[in-house]
Amino acid sequence: MDIQRLKPHLPWITLLILVAIVGTADPSFLKPANLLSLAGDIVPLFIMALGLTFAIYIGGIDLSAQSMANMITVVASVYLAPLGIWVAALCILAGLTLGTISGYLTTRMYVPSFISTLAVGGVCFSVAQWLSGNRALNMDATQRNETFGWMIGRTGIVPHELFIALGLLAICLILERRTILGRALKAVGAGELAAAASGLNVARYKILAFAISGALAAVAGLLFSVKLSGGAPTIANGFLLPAIVAVLVGGTPLTGGVGGVLNTAIGTLIVAVIRASMLYFGIAATQQQMVFGLVLIVAIALTIDRSKLRTVK
Amino acid sequence: MYELRAVEKKFPGVKALKSVDFSISRGEIVGLVGENGAGKSTLMKVIYGAYQPDGGEILIDGKPVRFSGPRDAMERGIGMVFQEQSLITNLSVMENIFLGYEDQFSRFGVVNWKAMAKAARKQLAKVKLDIDPRTVTSSLSFAQRQLLELAKVLTLEERVQGHLVVLLDEPTSVLAEEEVKLLFKLVRELTTRASFIFVSHRMDEVMELSDRIYVMKDGHVVDVVSRGAATPEAIQHKMVGRHVDREYYREQKQRPYDPTKPLVELSDVSLPGRVRDISLTLHAGEVLCLVGTEGSGREAILRTIYGMYAPTKGVLKIKGKTVSRLTTQDAVERGVGYVPRERKIEGIVTGMNVYENMTLSQMPRYARMGWLDVANERALARKWIGKLAIKASSEYADCGNLSGGNQQKVVLAKWRSGGSDIMLLDHPTRGLDIGAKEDVYDMIREMCDDGVGVVLVADTLEEAIGLSHTIVVIKDGEIQKRFDCVPGSKPTLYDLLHYMI
Repeated sequence: MDIQRLKPHLPWITLLILVAIVGTADPSFLKPANLLSLAGDIVPLFIMALGLTFAIYIGGIDLSAQSMANMITVVASVYLAPLGIWVAALCILAGLTLGTISGYLTTRMYVPSFISTLAVGGVCFSVAQWLSGNRALNMDATQRNETFGWMIGRTGIVPHELFIALGLLAICLILERRTILGRALKAVGAGELAAAASGLNVARYKILAFAISGALAAVAGLLFSVKLSGGAPTIANGFLLPAIVAVLVGGTPLTGGVGGVLNTAIGTLIVAVIRASMLYFGIAATQQQMVFGLVLIVAIALTIDRSKLRTVK
Repeated sequence: MYELRAVEKKFPGVKALKSVDFSISRGEIVGLVGENGAGKSTLMKVIYGAYQPDGGEILIDGKPVRFSGPRDAMERGIGMVFQEQSLITNLSVMENIFLGYEDQFSRFGVVNWKAMAKAARKQLAKVKLDIDPRTVTSSLSFAQRQLLELAKVLTLEERVQGHLVVLLDEPTSVLAEEEVKLLFKLVRELTTRASFIFVSHRMDEVMELSDRIYVMKDGHVVDVVSRGAATPEAIQHKMVGRHVDREYYREQKQRPYDPTKPLVELSDVSLPGRVRDISLTLHAGEVLCLVGTEGSGREAILRTIYGMYAPTKGVLKIKGKTVSRLTTQDAVERGVGYVPRERKIEGIVTGMNVYENMTLSQMPRYARMGWLDVANERALARKWIGKLAIKASSEYADCGNLSGGNQQKVVLAKWRSGGSDIMLLDHPTRGLDIGAKEDVYDMIREMCDDGVGVVLVADTLEEAIGLSHTIVVIKDGEIQKRFDCVPGSKPTLYDLLHYMI
């Protein structure tokens, strides 16, 4: 069979093979309750990866996602008491704004996105340190339960995070497949010059992609802080690499234009299974990033569209 | 000394070289002329080793050789002076000269700059370039860089056995008249060191410099002319040669345009760079052709009307309304459609299917509140696939997999289905086969019948003459002459060339 025709199906085949391997090693892994709780645990990472998908889909990258989530955990912990449920709006607004700034820097000031988002990420990290006094903060447990308790409960054996994840996935999927925005982002990713020569306002769509990425990183941070009932400037460290891995192993290459949010959902599940399997095979938490680093390199090498690259720097 | 025998080169869908014989002897200067697409650049690439021929032989001093690439050809004494300059501008002159061959000056990886400078001076003396070899290349003028390129190629003299063959690809296109004279004088003197193959579209220059001229057309060498054996007109005629059928360009379908309906008016428009004081008017139903050599400013004018370049001076009116700060979005809104020359890069989005490409410029029309009506998009695509006989398996076919002609039809359908009535066509038939070209010509005539105005940059002069109502000749960014092209009394090729060159 032709490798090019096989390529779009590789992500879910990989997922099935991985599940089968881990399932053979430990049949209890395949119990629905275990699988569901595994999926529930990965939701904050998934939401971040969902946002990153937009940045990568247009051929950019958003390295600020992790620092953004860090900062949001602090913002949520500090402002939950005075603002109540409105803290969610504050978080999302902060994510949108900072994402827009990254997008503006990239499109209007011609700062490559890996630098502009890295810089914005640095700002986020610093804000988090300053706002938290550089220590871990705790939410008031009763207030958290009253305001955001619905996010983290369970119905039967299904964790509520999964509903949030599915809801956001559905919104993003519709955005990608059925709206002008989604079509424009695809055109920008697949052929930016042709999109510009068709009269699309390429810069505006790129800025929007970074804004969405920022907003979803903020949602990820909010959910994470609710789960942990607190925040700290480094609490979400270790998210960025697996999130990028999730997007790329899902089948959205760094060059953009193909793949999409559904691919990222599968990619995130692959990451979840890899993570779980590391537990089963006794790989220490401190070594996990090594594995993700390796997987990332393999995923990039497999997915990147070399015909689009002239030189790599 | 260097010889090609019955060389063939095929590309998917075209035979670029058909049994080409070519030879050059020691110290000779050979000219190579032909229209766009005649096979000149393919032949050059075969000569300097970038392409391997599919048939025939390459002989050096009578012995067959085979080059694996340009570097291999260089080792045998074949050097190329590139039109697109191949110098790295942030390196010094001497580093450029010996780029890739620094070993001779280095010990344990450390370069002896003094030795390199000394050797570089020797090379620069060959081309009479009196500059410090340590100068950074970006500070040189274009003419100096051209000579530096030549000096770089002439280093082959010390490296290889035997005589050199140097290709000069359009070396004069960026030079002033004085500089051209100096270059020619130099080339003549250098014939003691090398043979030269000179490619240019400036007929007068080719005739002045060359001992013999190879005339190419449609992948053949149609004639070899010795110095003084033919007039420029005779050579031109051989280049164009083919009997041009008036029906080929659909001249019988050319109707007069409507002079009361101006669509685009440029008055005294100047652009950054060298385009200046352009005034022209495009009317409904008119094909206005911009004619000029490469780099004369034709494309820049198209892009200005499309809002990609902003004029520094002058007034642009679209449909009677003065527009300032035109963006491409505005231009599309006002009914301008642009068919770029680089079809695969700017024309279609590869990786998107037919309907996605067709509605790309007009998505709001197929959407409500940002929500796309895909069924409607598909219906549109099916309609135009039928109307233009686009060969695609369905509206879901990836445009990247269509043939060039069908891709071009998709691009044209994109604009026509959106109701664009000012069409900017940049080389719309480039790389298409004859049948597809004729389809494009038919479409241009049909557009005109619908009252569309077309600004055309044609692939060949014949095409320009055949299709247009009006021809504007541009040279070095300025309008030289305007021709009315009423069927039956169209200007000839030689009329145009006179003003182009």
